[in-house]
Amino acid sequence: MTPINISLLLFMIGLYGVISKNNLIKKIIGLAIINASVVLFFIAIGYREGGLAPIMSRSEAVDSANQIFVNPIPQALMLTAIVVSISLTAVALALVVKIYSKYKTLDVQKLYEE
Amino acid sequence: MKNSRIIRTLAQKLLPFIFLFGFYLTFHGHLSPGGGFQGGVVIATAIILLTLSYGIKETENRFKEKHLSVLEKLAILAFIFLGLLGIFFGYPFLKNFLPLGQRGYVASAGLMIPLNFVISIKVAAGMTGIFYALVKYRGEI
Amino acid sequence: MLNHLPILIIIFPLSIAFIILLFKKYIIALSTFSILFSLASLLKFAPSVYKGQIISYHLGGWPAPLGISLLIDSLSFFFALTVLLIGMMVIIYSIPDKKYNHNYYFLLLILLSSMVGTIFTADIFNMYILYDLVAIATYLLIAYYQHGVALKASFNYLLMSAVGLSLFLLGVGSLYAMSGTLHIASISEQLPEIFAHNPQIIIMSLVLVITSMGIKMAMVPLHGWLPDAHSLAPSPVSAILSGVVVKVGLYCLIRLIFGLFSTEKILVNIASHYILMVFGAITLLFGAMMALTQTDLKRMLAYSTINQIGLILIGLGFNIYSGFEGALFHVLNHALLKSALFFCAGIIIKTGSKKIKELAGFGKKNPVVAFCFVILSLGIIGIPPMNGFVSKFLICLAAIEAGYSILALVIIFASLITAAYYFRVIQIFYSEPIQPNSNLPNIDVAENSLFWDKYFRLWPIYILTGFSLMLGILPSLGLLLIRPAVKILLLNIIK
Repeated sequence: MTPINISLLLFMIGLYGVISKNNLIKKIIGLAIINASVVLFFIAIGYREGGLAPIMSRSEAVDSANQIFVNPIPQALMLTAIVVSISLTAVALALVVKIYSKYKTLDVQKLYEE
Repeated sequence: MKNSRIIRTLAQKLLPFIFLFGFYLTFHGHLSPGGGFQGGVVIATAIILLTLSYGIKETENRFKEKHLSVLEKLAILAFIFLGLLGIFFGYPFLKNFLPLGQRGYVASAGLMIPLNFVISIKVAAGMTGIFYALVKYRGEI
Repeated sequence: MLNHLPILIIIFPLSIAFIILLFKKYIIALSTFSILFSLASLLKFAPSVYKGQIISYHLGGWPAPLGISLLIDSLSFFFALTVLLIGMMVIIYSIPDKKYNHNYYFLLLILLSSMVGTIFTADIFNMYILYDLVAIATYLLIAYYQHGVALKASFNYLLMSAVGLSLFLLGVGSLYAMSGTLHIASISEQLPEIFAHNPQIIIMSLVLVITSMGIKMAMVPLHGWLPDAHSLAPSPVSAILSGVVVKVGLYCLIRLIFGLFSTEKILVNIASHYILMVFGAITLLFGAMMALTQTDLKRMLAYSTINQIGLILIGLGFNIYSGFEGALFHVLNHALLKSALFFCAGIIIKTGSKKIKELAGFGKKNPVVAFCFVILSLGIIGIPPMNGFVSKFLICLAAIEAGYSILALVIIFASLITAAYYFRVIQIFYSEPIQPNSNLPNIDVAENSLFWDKYFRLWPIYILTGFSLMLGILPSLGLLLIRPAVKILLLNIIK
């Protein structure tokens, strides 16, 4: 079970949550799980065997010239992707608050009939 | 949480230290994990802690929503202005035109320190604004 | 300053959007000025782009495989010109309505600037981020009036679109893992060697990209959000969604399939012949048949959008010169015609009603708008003096040239169904009302409008109809714009 397999499994779990759950908040949680799984996928891509965290250090314990570091670019890309995921969750929650104030229910089956 | 004297006292006393930690994360963004976004979220967490312990009305008296909203928009305009500043000197957008220092010290990596600072202010104001909007609706529903 | 224009086209409307939100004064003047500035700067590149020159701008001074770069070649110039033109018309159309406050113009300017940013960028991760920004602006614009049904439609769209964009990010991630760079040209150079060693990951990323862009541009099994979202939004928002936002998904698909995956010819052959053509044909027929059964005017126009997107996908799927020409020309035609149709629908709904059955006698009440509706629907059906005829004819020619003559028959059959549902509306316009004193309000009495609102609402419709007629009578003007763009698409395929 490599991290890449686990991230795809998490994607499927999140997708199951978005599709099959009846409560709107649970659908948003499924969406957050999907975004987290994509972050895990990117970080798992950047792993190198025996690598340290990609931080420049002035101490003598870390020999910066000959040491293998983990790829820092996916980590920088994922900072931006986490920000996007948070703003998406915020917009979704704002819509859910407005839907609740108009319809007084969060159940998808009841909302579909109205 | 509103009736707990321990949390109210601790939140009041810890507030400046959490702000300090947020700014530390922001300004050391090019040396250790952190940067603008993380520092901004920590600063917003401080205000959220204050809201949880004192209630929304007291907190909004001190961190007014109008001021936060103006600060947010000024921060993004400052980011674009810093990017455009390079254009006046003839470099492309967002080019690093401030002097680079020694690697490993805080005063290196030219344009990143002002950009990190501006982003942390924008994220803190934005997160706090989102939190205020979601909390204030609690009574209306 | 002049060689910094590519980034200024994107940054200037973005900063004007935040200035509008800060000061809340001079909203209309500032937004019109910013879009005019972007349009003028874009037109400045027209002579050099026509000669085939590629303009690239590296942000931050970092050279191409390391940093983000903006790429203006004839394909992105064509799409950006469509976006800004329709955006300008939408801003003019929404001037008279007093209900559109600073939030609306803020969201509209962010939508336009991030669409232009998605089109210009040459970096696949940057494309994902800007496309997500486009999507967030559209969720908020659809739910602008905060009716209950519009909120539900916007939430439905949010769920499907967010899952689609996460799939796109997975595809981007697998491409980055295999090639080590994020720049489109660099990945396409390394693609044949990567495909020789592990073909499975490249095929996985191709499928993920097609699926996610299929969700965003409403290919048939993935179209479920479009009828609700486009019909329950405010009218200028529907115009820009149906006209332009769907085309940005099409642009990303074109850029990735024919720009990035095209160095490995077997991928392009499978993608275009087996996926784009088949799903395009299904989309074409599905949209036509569903539009025939609608009773609501804007929902019918939304299904008609699905119809025309299927036609464009068929045109792209043939993989030959006249197919690309017809498909790209139809992108321009459909953007002009559908936006003008949604503008007409906005006026019809305000002074008539939403249901088609109750619109009887509209032709006598407001003859100008009804006449424009007639001309525009002739364009979408594909009848000769209009531009829709030229693009549909080119795609049918490409069908016969590529050996799939049955698709030419399918396209003509779908055009017949299109004629059926548009002519039904026109017939109802020009017939007598069932009750002699129907309570349709007069056009002069409109509640929240300025004194000269007739001009601001009608002139975008006239301008867009005029362009369509001009492109139909002199199609060489449109083809002048499109031939350099088609050369970019064929660049890797001919080699």
